[in-house]
Amino acid sequence: MWASIAGRLFWRELKRGELWVIAFALFLAVGSVVSLSGITQSVKSALQQRSAQFTAADRVLGSSQPFDDAYFSVASELGVATARQMQFDSMLFAGEQMQLATIKAVNDSYPLRGELVLHRSASITSGSPGQLAPGEVWFEARLLDLLQVKPGDTVELGEARLVVAGVIVNEPDAPLSVFGGSPRVIMHLADVAATSIVQPGSRISYRYLFAGTASALDALTDALKPRLTVHQRWRNLDRESAIGSALERAERFLLLAGLLGIVLAACAAAVAASRYSQRHTQAVAIIKALGATTAKARLLYSSHLLLVVLFSLVLGLMGGQLAIFAAELGIGNYISDYRPEFSFRPLLLGTLTCIICALLFAARPLWQLAKTPAIEVLKQPAAVMNLDKWQMLFGAAAIWGLMWLFSGELLISVGLFLLCALFAAILLGFAAVMVKLARPVAAGQSSAGRLALANLRRRLWPNSFQLITFSLAIFLTLLLYFLRAELIGQWQQQIPEGAPNHFLVNVSAEQRAKVTAFTEANNLQPEPFYPVVRGRLLSINSEQLQQEATKEDRSEQRVGVGRELNLTWLAQIPANNKIIEGQWFNDATNAEVSVEQEIAERLQLTLGDKLDFSIGGQQVKATVTSIRQVDWNSLQPNFYMILSPDVLATFPATYITAFYLEQGSGNLINQLARQMPTVTVLSVDAIINQVNDIIAQVTIALSFILIIIALAAALVLVAQVQATLEQREQELAILRTLGAKYVFLRNALLLEFAFLGALAGLFATVLAELLLIVLQQRVFDMPFQFHFALWWMGPVIGVVSVSLLGWWQLRRLLQIPGAILIRRVIQS
Amino acid sequence: MRMNKTPELHIKAINLAKRVKVPEGSLTILHDISLTINRGETVAIVGASGSGKSTLLSLLAGLDTPSDGEIHMAGKPLHQMSEDERAGVRARDVGFVFQSFLLLPSLTALENVTLPAELSGDRKARERGLALLEQVGLTARADFYPSQLSGGEQQRVAIARAFITKPAILFADEPSANLDAVTGQMIEDLLFELNDSQGTTLVLVTHNAELAKRCQRQYQMRSGSFVPADTATAVAATEVAANVG
Ligand SMILES: Nc1ncnc2c1ncn2[C@@H]1O[C@H](COP(=O)(O)OP(=O)(O)O)[C@@H](O)[C@H]1O
Ligand SMILES: [Mg+2]
Repeated sequence: MWASIAGRLFWRELKRGELWVIAFALFLAVGSVVSLSGITQSVKSALQQRSAQFTAADRVLGSSQPFDDAYFSVASELGVATARQMQFDSMLFAGEQMQLATIKAVNDSYPLRGELVLHRSASITSGSPGQLAPGEVWFEARLLDLLQVKPGDTVELGEARLVVAGVIVNEPDAPLSVFGGSPRVIMHLADVAATSIVQPGSRISYRYLFAGTASALDALTDALKPRLTVHQRWRNLDRESAIGSALERAERFLLLAGLLGIVLAACAAAVAASRYSQRHTQAVAIIKALGATTAKARLLYSSHLLLVVLFSLVLGLMGGQLAIFAAELGIGNYISDYRPEFSFRPLLLGTLTCIICALLFAARPLWQLAKTPAIEVLKQPAAVMNLDKWQMLFGAAAIWGLMWLFSGELLISVGLFLLCALFAAILLGFAAVMVKLARPVAAGQSSAGRLALANLRRRLWPNSFQLITFSLAIFLTLLLYFLRAELIGQWQQQIPEGAPNHFLVNVSAEQRAKVTAFTEANNLQPEPFYPVVRGRLLSINSEQLQQEATKEDRSEQRVGVGRELNLTWLAQIPANNKIIEGQWFNDATNAEVSVEQEIAERLQLTLGDKLDFSIGGQQVKATVTSIRQVDWNSLQPNFYMILSPDVLATFPATYITAFYLEQGSGNLINQLARQMPTVTVLSVDAIINQVNDIIAQVTIALSFILIIIALAAALVLVAQVQATLEQREQELAILRTLGAKYVFLRNALLLEFAFLGALAGLFATVLAELLLIVLQQRVFDMPFQFHFALWWMGPVIGVVSVSLLGWWQLRRLLQIPGAILIRRVIQS
Repeated sequence: MRMNKTPELHIKAINLAKRVKVPEGSLTILHDISLTINRGETVAIVGASGSGKSTLLSLLAGLDTPSDGEIHMAGKPLHQMSEDERAGVRARDVGFVFQSFLLLPSLTALENVTLPAELSGDRKARERGLALLEQVGLTARADFYPSQLSGGEQQRVAIARAFITKPAILFADEPSANLDAVTGQMIEDLLFELNDSQGTTLVLVTHNAELAKRCQRQYQMRSGSFVPADTATAVAATEVAANVG
């Protein structure tokens, strides 16, 4: 019987707002957890599948030095299959078009594992299968568009002309970069010589591919061990785990960022649940007076919560799953293998979140509700609701629990929790001070303004809470906008006028004269030619450096740079460099090196340290005699290590130079690149485009979080306005009895919300400005700069959004004719 | 209806006291209350506002527990019962009519009437509820919500609800105080009528002397205790009860 009563009560309660607020809050929480975790999961498995299914070999030895045939014969003797692969970046030309691409040259035995699938067509979905052969190149499909070519057309690569045979459908060992990179090209190793791109000092990666039985491979590893130089190393084929852990971190970050929204939503649910039970105190008292026990009353009302929880849980799980599918539209652009997948982990996380939110935020008020003594029937129901201490404690416990669940680490969750508490305390304190300070200001204002402020002060607690939620939402909005629209623009602006915007890389010694002739003919002011030699830092003061920052091997060794460095030698210090310690080279200089300040700090280098480099297989020693500060924003070629000319001058080098070219001179670049096809031209615009691309991708993720937080913030406002509805009704009735006009009351109401919104906007602005300044100085190395637009945008967004929401919530209350309002209040 | 030669004792209260905690300490709102009510009797508790009538009623009906003293209802010690046991007693044996009607706003008139019966699992509640609504003249309003009913109509629904479980005793706390004179009169008539036809014991709390006179006996209250000399009937009744007890 109680079930039918419970059902009827529930059904009719749906018309009131609180159950919907709880339902929507839980839906939001579940949906965002499921989708955030599911999307990262799908991305992860897409990349893992690609990596697991397609590897081109069992073992890969990478090298920056040309192939050593002896290695291959050792392998053959041990019964290990081999293949060769070279990889480099180069310009491709087709008619007027040119494009930087990543070229992979392989021999016939490639791949040893997996399958290389090529189509003799422009489409990856149809076309006859193709085979790798000399004279032909295969393109990643998008490159056809970029170069405006079709299969059968001829393209130029370095000094060679090659025929475009078709598209790459499957490339076994394609890099697992999430963010595109240059388009990919596969060609035959036999054609590489004809391109003339490979010169001493060029940046080329050579790979020895091996496949065979485990024992044969182990034997090979042992046999090669004594031969390996510092320029050669076994490449980690276990990319799966590296990417896996990176994505796990991404998932945790997204979940924790999303947690902000979830917590806000849960708070809205808590407020709504408190309000719901407060509104039902009398009903419970009546039911108990009529003979219901506490247990029965509890059953009656917890069934309501249970229904709401089930409803939102199911919808949330479905909605989240739907979002995972919908994400294909956005993410598919960046990760072609993204397949939305069904997995239990996100659903489990979502369900757990729902249970935690429901139990710790919403359940207590309903639990307490059933305890209402029957004697309450004889008392006046209270109009004001307050959250009790236990409720707060439970809420805090829930927030921490969710942090733990999402971060998976106890320490992080505790730290994060304390940080959030501190942040909230600061904002609350700030809010209290602001409302206090506003009193003298308002004294001179209209009486509507004074009434609005009085209202704000009276509901200081809930208002401060709203302040935090809206500050957060507005802060994120501002941040997203300024990241996208402003930061890059500012960075571009502060590049000095006429700073080089085109870089020529891989210029050979003979090509230098040609480049100079070209720049002179076209009135360009080129930077000097910087020789570049690639080398690895081996040791500091004969102390061997750990070459890779691996987790397992935490020895005493200092961690090295981890990759080959571009080394140069110069007699004169570059214009934008400043010596901050030591002396620049002089005539007496003998085997010295000047180190850039940041890397010197990282490697803990001091003047007098002796460095060992390995360059082209030869060991080179140099003593640190100066530490330089480099202005990275000058966009001139910059180097971490500059050696004195006596050390390096005998090594074969390629050269880098740069010059400024006005916009729209693309034709000139085309000419230059055609004259020297082996030279790679990098334009700053292209680099900026790439940075913009990455920012665009980051903003996609942040926008998703922003939506969650904005919805949650709105929900909190709705819940809290609902909670004060009766109180407001009473006040309005009294004011109207005293003769207040509609316009006056409406203005007071709007002013109340406008003030709240303005405060929230102001907080958000301060926060956003602080973060932008940090980003500017730390990440972009820019001078301090105020964002004036921020200071009006934040408050305006706050005023408009909060006033509209408040007005929308209370409009009906204001429209009730005074007489009816008064009667309604007097009667109750 | 049963004819009583020797009246059967229904409620007996001995030296009741009620103290409540207030910020200043403890406040005694009832003290030294003893009374007896016989089965089928109609008894009025009269007194000025704030004299403790509602508090006493809540103790007699088992809504609340006394700080001191004993209450026996049909021989059972209410003052020793747990909250849930008292709820059981209320569900089976007690009906209520309150000053402010106290209907559940989200249930219709009929659903409000049948609520107590449904809570104790009575499946025939609906027919009986409709019959009671007819008795109070509200058949046409069965599916209306409380907010759609006038005050008088709401109180009639409340009266119908009070009788649905066929309680042995009915407690009414100022049932007509929130209504205009004419409607109030009608409600009072209805209450006595139903009470008479059902043979229920009636305990009526009121500050209205006229209304009190319609009851067989009266207890007069002033600042938390009975005024003994005021009404001879009350004193006499106490003596009778004492003899019986
Ligand atoms: N829980 C309580 N706390 C403090 N005072 C109370 C409480 N309940 C009742 N009172 C006080 O006790 C007195 C008697 O109340 P009540 O029984 O409602 O009187 P009546 O029904 O006769 O008007 C009143 O003065 C009332 O204010
Ligand atoms: Mg009273």
